[in-house]
Amino acid sequence: MEHHVTLDSQQITLPTSGLWPKLPAVGGVIGVVGLGLAFLLQGEDPQRLAFSYLTGFMFWVTIALGGLFFVILHYLARSGWSVVVRRLAEKVAATLPLFAILFLPIPLLFMHDLFHWSDAAAVAHDPLLQHKAPYLNIAFFNLRAVIYFAVWIGLMIYFNRASQKQDASADFGITARLNKRSAPCMILFGLTLNFAAVDWMMTLDPHWFSTIFGVYTFAGCVIAIFATLILMSLRLQRRGVLEGVVTGEHYHDMGKMLFGFVVFWAYIGFSQFMLIWYANIPEETIWFDHRWHNGWQPVSILLAVGHFAIPFFWLISQPAKRSRFAMTAGALWLLFMHYVDIYWLVMPTPVPSGDHHAMVAQAFQPAATDIACWLGIGGLFVAYLGHLLGQGSLVPKADPRLAESLTFESV
Amino acid sequence: MAHAVVADIDPIQGRTALIEGEPSFHDITEVVSAPVEWKPPLGWYIFLGASMALTSLLGVSIGWLFWEGTGIWGNNIPIAWAWPIVNFVFWVGIGHAGTLISAVLFLFRQKWRTSINRAAEAMTLFAVACALIFPGIHIGRPWLPYWMMPIPNQMGMWPQFRSPLMWDVFAVSIYGTVSLVFWYVGLIPDLATMRDRSTTKIRRLAYGFFALGWRGSFRQWLHYEKAYLMLAGLATPLVLSVHSVVSFDFAVSQLPGWHTTIFPPYFVAGAIFSGLAMVITLMVICRKVFKMEHIINLLHFDRMAKLILLTGTLVGFAYSMEFFIAWYGGNTYELFAFTNRAGGPFAWAYWTMIFCNVVTPQIFWWKKARTHMGILFVASIFINIGMWFERFVIVVTSLHADFLPSSWDYYRPTFWDFATFAGSFGLFFTLFTLFVRFLPMVAMAEVKSVLPQAHVHNRPE
Amino acid sequence: MLAEFPDPETLMHACAKVRDAGFTCWDAHTPFPVHGLDKAMGLKRSMVSAFVLILGLSGAAAGMLLQYWTSALAYPIVISGKPFFSWPAFVPIMFECGVLGGAIGAVLGMLLLGGLPRHHHALFNSEAFSRVSDDAFFISIEAQDPKYDAETTHAFLDGIGAQAIEKVMED
Repeated sequence: MEHHVTLDSQQITLPTSGLWPKLPAVGGVIGVVGLGLAFLLQGEDPQRLAFSYLTGFMFWVTIALGGLFFVILHYLARSGWSVVVRRLAEKVAATLPLFAILFLPIPLLFMHDLFHWSDAAAVAHDPLLQHKAPYLNIAFFNLRAVIYFAVWIGLMIYFNRASQKQDASADFGITARLNKRSAPCMILFGLTLNFAAVDWMMTLDPHWFSTIFGVYTFAGCVIAIFATLILMSLRLQRRGVLEGVVTGEHYHDMGKMLFGFVVFWAYIGFSQFMLIWYANIPEETIWFDHRWHNGWQPVSILLAVGHFAIPFFWLISQPAKRSRFAMTAGALWLLFMHYVDIYWLVMPTPVPSGDHHAMVAQAFQPAATDIACWLGIGGLFVAYLGHLLGQGSLVPKADPRLAESLTFESV
Repeated sequence: MAHAVVADIDPIQGRTALIEGEPSFHDITEVVSAPVEWKPPLGWYIFLGASMALTSLLGVSIGWLFWEGTGIWGNNIPIAWAWPIVNFVFWVGIGHAGTLISAVLFLFRQKWRTSINRAAEAMTLFAVACALIFPGIHIGRPWLPYWMMPIPNQMGMWPQFRSPLMWDVFAVSIYGTVSLVFWYVGLIPDLATMRDRSTTKIRRLAYGFFALGWRGSFRQWLHYEKAYLMLAGLATPLVLSVHSVVSFDFAVSQLPGWHTTIFPPYFVAGAIFSGLAMVITLMVICRKVFKMEHIINLLHFDRMAKLILLTGTLVGFAYSMEFFIAWYGGNTYELFAFTNRAGGPFAWAYWTMIFCNVVTPQIFWWKKARTHMGILFVASIFINIGMWFERFVIVVTSLHADFLPSSWDYYRPTFWDFATFAGSFGLFFTLFTLFVRFLPMVAMAEVKSVLPQAHVHNRPE
Repeated sequence: MLAEFPDPETLMHACAKVRDAGFTCWDAHTPFPVHGLDKAMGLKRSMVSAFVLILGLSGAAAGMLLQYWTSALAYPIVISGKPFFSWPAFVPIMFECGVLGGAIGAVLGMLLLGGLPRHHHALFNSEAFSRVSDDAFFISIEAQDPKYDAETTHAFLDGIGAQAIEKVMED
């Protein structure tokens, strides 16, 4: 097999025309305007802003985390076919430092609005929260967030630096080394992702618990990154970039992964629901109860149908996975559903309300701040991603398995 | 000996030989057919005899059970499920590796699976057969299992489909059926080989009957490959669902230690973990006895050991997550169930499980261990033991001390518990021993297709 | 007419030529599925997946209907306070029945489309053909093919790299 491949620089660098080079500017404007609007629109309801912000943050950060997972998995599996899109995933993961900054408002501004357990007065009246205090306290929560971001950014830098170094040196030893180190890296990633999901979304309702919660979030991350990679490469190809590099074979395979993880997500989601529904223990069932009343019922049904049934039949056939239209529509739809999923996880959280500050789950009431936060964080993410994409090659051009990936045939 | 044959030369690992020693297509046929065509060695008869002796112990145990009733076992309130369910889950778990290797690895284009998938699938079938015995006899009324079938009966009653035990009946029997079909479809081309090589009329008729008139026509191959892909695509979610359903038996209840949402994926990981260990145990022996060291070589063990390390890590993660949530949830009963596991009267079982399932596989971080037959063999036995104990811990420690302290009790197995369990191993090994004698234990057609000379590099338009 | 070829590559190139020559009643025979031969032979995608989809969905529907009918209509009985039609509890069996249907569809599809099982075939009369399941590669062209002609077809097969050519007769 031929190991040395030469690709035109035009094929593997960001197009100089169209929207791509303007992404940092456009995204930056949208980001600043969006976040600014969010603060202006909050009006009388700063608590709502906190939840809108967390929803937007979780949606975008799970995409970046999916990118990191993809890169580590690529090396762990010694995968060949995915070389041509790995650099795109690396760039998505490289936005993680931005998210470390965007996380700051959560502990600094929104802590008490979001996390009931952070309220000392509430803890004083709640023996369960007292029991959980060694884990659920502000200092430890912040420390854990620092650890998560340190691990993620550390892993990202480790893999991305090595990968970029290989572009210049064409040193095959780098791949060999990353293959070896990827296993412990994956363990670190899995543990931090699991506990980040617990910390940032499960503890919103501090009485509720589910051992599978981290796995559920993980399934969402993987769907998000595959949808993002498909969209990115399809859009880049509109400008002739990656043409002949990412082929129908790769879309077919990414489509399979997307399909597979849609099924995996449904499996995990259904397992969690069914076990809690069946045992019907009030302390657990209440969580689903909140997601079935106050206007949430249609959202729950939409999630089951739109996040599983529709993409299942949309993506099941072979021709669909090779069709640009079907893949674009499927990926966009799944990203939308991923947002619905995050919204459904975050929003129906019980918050103190009324004169007696009784805990009442928030009703389904879309707010302008939801969209503003989504746009704001997304704009900054896209701006930074656009900036990163402009640097260097979009394909790991000296990867030893690049030739295999280019000639890859999906069966 | 030249170790220089590759399917694809990997630029990193260099020449990784899926099959060592540059065999021709015909060499593969010869080596694989040999055990089926030769007069078996004395050792084969001895092993078969010993396995059948153990199987008869199973027969005696079941006979005595039917005569005397379930009182011969140690099962008693509060531990009513005890060994039969432990053994059932243990065997179903073993039965997961076959489908993993044949279906999941097939979908992930792991070509190395071709050397071991046939034997692993056979192992799956035999393990499922052993598993099905236990729920069948556990009810203690062997003349009534038809109540679990959805058939009109004289009582005008129907099965209770809200019971997870009914899900089990469907999941395990359908899993057995689909695995059998998958295995048989994979066998068809090789049965044709055996037919075409046969020297006696009886063999020709027997193999010919099951080969269905296969003649290697590419128009047949086209549909065959598609059907195989489809079966793999169906078997993959099936294998996940089966052990998930088994986990539902426990997890839909309200019993502390059983009711936790991570059970389905955690059981699946554990099942694959134990099944791979059993494949290693069997393959270490088979490759030696049947001189297939070049077909089932170090590369295959290396990969399997890596998968064991992966699934073992997932199992270890689930253990810790259960513990964390038991504390975090703040439910007194749940927390007690877990401290009681680790520090109560059955702590010995818990720590045996931890040692075997979490500590043992760590040795596979080292490549030396992944490719050393002795270490592989010993570690795989440890993992089998550990996975049996995992089910013991889940079933027994959760039941022996639940909500009502006045009914707490310690559990002791009887002689007949041991005899039944040992007997099931007899059945398993009897079936496997017969399999390696009468059917090709390596998928010849598939191995041939991963030889380098099978690839066409300059394709016509 | 049966022609033997030495290796997969020669076979594949020969197949492309047979295809281009316009034969219709012909086939290639190999000990294992040769990757890419479907294109060289000009074969369409296998329709086995349609069988799988239809039977799989029917199986799932049948599984759910069975449970609905028995639990909610024929023999309704309250179990742990759950509704008669408690769909979440019926999903596992629905899924299993769907897989069973799909698996039956895959096997049926393969057998029907591949013309199996088959008691006998004229090709089995050939001595050399017994090696098709071992290490031999063949192309067979049937006499009922409109383009078939004993002499020119023989010459044609010879010209595209056949090692040995024989005529196989029905009994």
